[in-house]
Amino acid sequence: MTYFESIFKVLVVGLILGAGLPAVFASGLVAYSNGAGGQHADGTVVAPNPMLKYLGVALFVFVGWVILTAVLWITRTTIIHHTGIDLFPFMPKK
Amino acid sequence: MGEHLARSDEVPARHALSHARLVRQIVSPGRRISAVSAELIILVLLIATALAFDFTNGFHDTGNAMATSIATGALKPKTAVLLAGVLNLVGAFLSVEVAVTVTTSVLKVQDSKTGALIPGIDASTGLTIIFAGLIGGILWNLLTWLFGIPSSSSHALFGGLIGAGLAALGLAGVNWSGVSSKVLIPAIAAPVIACLVAAGGTWLVYRITRNVVESRRREGFRWGQIATASLVALSHGTNDAQKTMGVIALALITTGHLTGDVKENGLPFWIIFSCAVAIGLGTYLGGWRVIRTLGKGLVEIDSPQGFAAEASSAAIILSSSAAGMALSTTHVATGSILGSGVGKPGAQVRWAVAGRMAVAWLITLPAAGLVGALSYWLSDAVKSLTNSPLAGDGLIFLVLVGLSFYMWWRAQQQKVDSTNVNADWDSSTNSVVPADVREAAKESKPTASV
Repeated sequence: MTYFESIFKVLVVGLILGAGLPAVFASGLVAYSNGAGGQHADGTVVAPNPMLKYLGVALFVFVGWVILTAVLWITRTTIIHHTGIDLFPFMPKK
Repeated sequence: MGEHLARSDEVPARHALSHARLVRQIVSPGRRISAVSAELIILVLLIATALAFDFTNGFHDTGNAMATSIATGALKPKTAVLLAGVLNLVGAFLSVEVAVTVTTSVLKVQDSKTGALIPGIDASTGLTIIFAGLIGGILWNLLTWLFGIPSSSSHALFGGLIGAGLAALGLAGVNWSGVSSKVLIPAIAAPVIACLVAAGGTWLVYRITRNVVESRRREGFRWGQIATASLVALSHGTNDAQKTMGVIALALITTGHLTGDVKENGLPFWIIFSCAVAIGLGTYLGGWRVIRTLGKGLVEIDSPQGFAAEASSAAIILSSSAAGMALSTTHVATGSILGSGVGKPGAQVRWAVAGRMAVAWLITLPAAGLVGALSYWLSDAVKSLTNSPLAGDGLIFLVLVGLSFYMWWRAQQQKVDSTNVNADWDSSTNSVVPADVREAAKESKPTASV
């Protein structure tokens, strides 16, 4: 059953990107917030930690890169049409 | 100067001549030249109707991308609809892959390769089917908007086309396997997938950030929300404007104004431009009633939930179009928002509102279909009585204008706009109209209620 196969595919990819990426972003937020120091929600106070802050920024950059890729994905037929460059040669043609 | 004057004198004269021919045609049918003029007028009306559908498609779906950002205050209401409008406009220009064969997924009126009408259907019948289908789509979009129900614009269009196709050609005119694989199965799958993904995302996000100070958490997720909502708006423009372009292309192919391989050579620029502007303006107008239901009615949304919901919508819309199974943006967005309520510990989901939506989804196809079929029959009856296709199609156009204006007027009586879109939701009535606006309307006119 091809329908159910593609529904299942969409569910798996959706879970990885749609739930996984927000989790990465949330981890970045935790790292950045802890790295910046200050008070936690439970009242404990931590010292600033630049390494953690950079880790947080790195995670944000990763999420941003995935979003940029997604925009290029939406516009890839246009890019192929105008420049002839296929940025996603490994993916099936629409 | 003199030459210019002479020329401008000439134009109205020519115009009057063709008008006289047209009148003669209506009185004594059967002459070819006049039939062409009547067809041209129908074509113009049809293109206007298609653009009107594109416009309702825009404002009905603004909420899919922006409702959560507006509800959490990540973006001001006016800024959000402007951003969504611009991204839809840009998105419409980005789609070079033209959905010329948009009707083939539900009807058997068009050749699936060239886009031309299949033999056995004359141009006049073809135009009336498309016309009636568009009318079904627009009226259903406006009615659901009046009640603030986010329903799928593609389903409304497909429903209208199916109804008109059934009325014109009977059971054989409908592509039943296409209806089940491209419309029915995705409609059931989309909200379920979206709800699962968004619930998972929301739960993870809250779990991971449980120790982060509330103000930082809110601020951080607001940025994430804006980025993911923009992605949804852009992909909406690339997907949905195409459908109207396809409908206009079919009409032009039917009348012989567009020939050659459209897939290869692309569409005339004015079609792309007008569709992009229509969907962009529609989105900017903002279907505030639908935005309010999605942002306030279904779940009380906080920024981490809004972020998880839009991330889920964007991921599913993009991966489904990659898998060749385009899901309705509306179904995905609604499922995601519902999921963000399910996934947040202690959050309340208004299942009564969700249930009303589910009912609206179930009847979208048959209801738009019924309107499409009635429109076709009306036009066909007038056509056979007066022997003029223009009278039939013109009449259903006037009916459309009248009913659209009536629904707009009803909405104006109890207005929802950027100022009260985030007003508290009244759970006792679950009406999209804020309680104070209802009260005010009741005082001025005791019978009015939406």
